[in-house]
Order: sequence, then C-alpha cells, then structure tokens
Amino acid sequence: MKRSKASTVLLYALLIILTIIMVFPLVYSFFSSLRTNEEIFRYISPLSVHTLIPVNFTVEAYVRVFRDYGFLQPIWNTLAVCILSVFFGCLINSVAAMAFAMMDFKGKKLIYSVILITFMIPFESISLPMYRIAYKLNLLNTFAGIVLPGLASGMILFLFVQFFKDIPKEILEAAIVDGASLRHLFFRIIFPMSGAVFVTSALMQFMGQWNSYLWPLLVAQSKSLRLIQTRLTDFNAEEGTEWAAKYAAMVVSAIIPLGLFLPLQKYYVAGVTSGSIKG
Amino acid sequence: MLRVHKAVPYLMISAACLLLLVFRVIPLFYSLLGSVYIDGVFTLDTFEKLFFHDTIFWRSMWITVKLNIVVIPLQIVVSLLLALLVNQDLKGIGAFRTTFMTPFAISGVVNCLIWGLLLAKNNGVINSLLNAFGLPSQGFWSDKNQALWCIVAESTWAGSGYWMIFFLSGLKGIDTTIYESAALDGCGPIRRLWSITLPLMRRTILFVMVANTTANLLLFTPMKTITNGGPMGSTNALMYEAYKSSFQFNKPARSSAIVSVLLVMIGLVCALQFFLLRDKDETKAKKGGAAA
Repeated sequence: MKRSKASTVLLYALLIILTIIMVFPLVYSFFSSLRTNEEIFRYISPLSVHTLIPVNFTVEAYVRVFRDYGFLQPIWNTLAVCILSVFFGCLINSVAAMAFAMMDFKGKKLIYSVILITFMIPFESISLPMYRIAYKLNLLNTFAGIVLPGLASGMILFLFVQFFKDIPKEILEAAIVDGASLRHLFFRIIFPMSGAVFVTSALMQFMGQWNSYLWPLLVAQSKSLRLIQTRLTDFNAEEGTEWAAKYAAMVVSAIIPLGLFLPLQKYYVAGVTSGSIKG
Repeated sequence: MLRVHKAVPYLMISAACLLLLVFRVIPLFYSLLGSVYIDGVFTLDTFEKLFFHDTIFWRSMWITVKLNIVVIPLQIVVSLLLALLVNQDLKGIGAFRTTFMTPFAISGVVNCLIWGLLLAKNNGVINSLLNAFGLPSQGFWSDKNQALWCIVAESTWAGSGYWMIFFLSGLKGIDTTIYESAALDGCGPIRRLWSITLPLMRRTILFVMVANTTANLLLFTPMKTITNGGPMGSTNALMYEAYKSSFQFNKPARSSAIVSVLLVMIGLVCALQFFLLRDKDETKAKKGGAAA
C-alpha cells in the first residue's frame, strides 16, 4: 500500500514526539548523574539548556555511590542470585521439559496442565504467604530463599517443551541406537541444538531476578544480603537530597539489564510473547 | 517417544514439580485459606470485620477501582496504538520499536524512582517545564488529588512498551493480502482497523487484557517506593494495604482476606473480558487463533 508524503511526515513526527516522551526521563537521569547536587538544583528552574546538559561533567556521584554508600555489595549479591537462577532455572526446566516433550508416562497431561496453570498465579498474590513458608523452611536471609521460588517456571518450561517437540525424532532415535545415555543425549545433542531457547530462558531468569523487588524485600532483609533493587529504595528513602548519587545509583542498576536487553531483544520478545499464543 | 525406564520421566520432572508445589500451589491455598482458617478453626470473622467494620479497606477498594478503571483501558489503547505505529513500513522503524520497549528492560523500582524525582514538587524538572510554558507548579506526588494520576502516568509510561510487544506479534501474524483486497473494495483505514485488524487480534487482545488487569489490580511498587500510600492515604490501593497488614500491622489473616478479595476481583474482571470478547463467529475465531 502506498502512503502519501504528508502522512509519512506526520508518522515520523508522531514517532519522534513519542521517542522524546519515552527517552527524556532516562536521558535526564543519566545527565543528572554526571553533575553535583548543587548544579542540579541551581539549573533546574528556569528551564534552560543547562537544566539537561551539565556545565561541569563529573563522576563524583558514581564514586560516592560505590565508596560511601557501598553499592558494590548489593551488585555482587544480585549477580550471584542471577547466575544461580540462570544455571539452575535452565537446568530444572529443560530437564523436566525433555520428559514432557519426548517421553510417555502416566498422568503426563494432567501434570503438564497443572504446571501451565501455575504460570497464571500472579506472584504478588502469593508472596505474603510465601514469606511464611520461607520462614518455616529456614530460608529467610539466605541465597536459597531468594533463588528457589523463581527457579521453576511454567512459562519457561512451556518454552522448552515447544522447542523440544520440534527436534526431529530420527536424530534422537539414532543416538539411542548408538548407545547414547540420556545424559549424553541431553548435553551433547539436545543442548547444542537448542541455543535460542536456552538464551531466551536464561535472559528471562536473569532479568526477572535482577529487576525483582517484592520478594527480595520480604525474604532478604539483612543488610549483608540486600539486593540491588531493595538497596536502591532504601537509599532513596534515607538520603533526602543526594539527588546526583540517586541518579547515579539508578544508572548503575539499570546498565546491566539494558546491556543484555538491547543486543538480545529478539530472544526476549520471543520469550515474553510465547505465553500469548495459548491465549 | 523415547523408550526409557518407567521411573525416569518422573525423576526428570520431580525438581520442577516440587518447586512449583512448594512455591506456587501451596502458597496459593495458604493465601486463600489463611483468611478463613485461624488456628485450625474455620471462621468468617475476618471477612465479617473486613466488609462491615473496616473503613480503611473500603477506602482502599475505592482507590483501587478508581485507579484501574482509568489505567487498564489507557494502557491497552496506548500500547495498541504504539504497536500499530511501529508496525508501519518506515525506514528506521526498528530503532523506534526498541526505544519504546526500553523502560521495560529497566526495573519497576528504577522507573518509579525516576518519576518520583521528575514529578517532585520542589526541584522536579516537570514543574520547570510547566513554568517554561507559563503554567503554575503542581504538587504532583504531594497533592492528594494528583498522586494517584501520577501513578497512572508513571505505569503507563513504563508498561506500554511491554504490552505493545504482544500486540505487535499479533499484528505480524495477520496476512497482509487481506488489507490489499479490502483497500480494493474501498475500505478506509479506520474501517480496516475496526473490521479486520481488531477481530483478527481477538485472542491477543484478550491475553493482554487479562495480563494487564492482573498486573494493575496487584500494583504495588509505586506505592511502596514513591508514595507510601499517601498523601493522606490517597494512593493506598489494596495490594499495598495487604502488604502493610502483613508486615507492619501484623494481621496476616486480614492480609490474606484482602488478597483473596483481589483474586476474586481479577477473576470477575477477566470473566467479563472473556464474555465481551467471546467468539461470535466460528470462522473469525479460527483466523484470530492463527493470528494470535
């Protein structure tokens, strides 16, 4: 279909306005993290070019975030949580998916549908009783307590099952005839063929843990175990006027998920939209 | 199907099943039963108190309803329009698409904190912008009549790009030859959207509606990170009240009861959405299924 020149111009104008709305808060935060508190407050009003663009660029706020406010520890904690979640999450879900996609067993349909239904239970609605379960299992303020609830996921399991179903049966049968064990089959044949789905699930696990807030808020209250999002909110509440450092802390905590999301966007989109196929 | 020992598949699914049981299924029952079983005795006292003697609950209910009546349709319309826009065949459209998704890659906490500072009454940049256009400064988060709508703005800004992804994948599934024949029949763009695109996207729209309703009825992060339910309780929605009930007031039964009420509300709203978007025409449904 052809479009007139005028409507093309109009569409671009609309896209640019929307881009400004979407990007301005992020760009403003980034620039504010590169100045001193004094400078932020001095140029905020009246509006001028220096409301946005720093007069003197400085990384002082970043130095303070790490040196004075100890953001390194929550970042290490969160990275550890993310890596554990990615590894065990991919393993547990893909091994279970292999059984669902490639084997016959009694009760398979029933168990699989229950698993898919659990994916529709909103986390917020069960997080408060889950705190009591974590308490009874002695999981409060432990890495296990942070990581375990997020590992098994109906959505990620479903992703793996859909992918594994499409692996040609002949390949698997040939390997079995050659005497391959199940472990060999999984690590040497299925895993190398399934790069895309593993990247998608790893990304979902990582982003989910890095950005999660409510569960760490409940389960990891001790200072030494604080994760990045809870550290951020505490910092925001405690340091009223440290605006430059607040912005710097936000940039620091956003840079890792953004750095993963931008190049791997395709996989992430595939992951989140897979659930809508079922309607 | 692979032929293995009978026990093998059960062993393979055991870890995932156990985790889902302990961290999904049991908490759900806990959540639903925690309000009616107190010390092992069945009682409806919690609900009796909640419904008939708890004005804070009803105030939170009204705030939740007000918030959701605005934010659910707003996010769905905005994200659908965004999807239609970035589905256009234009140079560089991929960059715009990525840009609109960016807030979603950043955590809800960061999005909230950013908007907390942008919309601050003093030293907030949005007030400087208003002043530059000759408009007076607003209270935003510190005004009890504005704070709830600031949450609407923040969560629409943060969420629309995410919901757009689903609409976009629905749009990609539509066979474009339909549009060409419709154009030949003299069908205008509004008519095309209403009579072809939207019916074919029925399943996608339904999915987004259900997921969006769930997310917004349980909205928590903005209240916890920006407003603390204030000013003067004006943003104290039900999920935040449930959280406080559990962790500040030490009333877990009341908290469970509020969450149960929220789950029932989610169920009712979703049932209504299913009813409104039900299959009226089998053939349409089949195409819609293929598109979604």
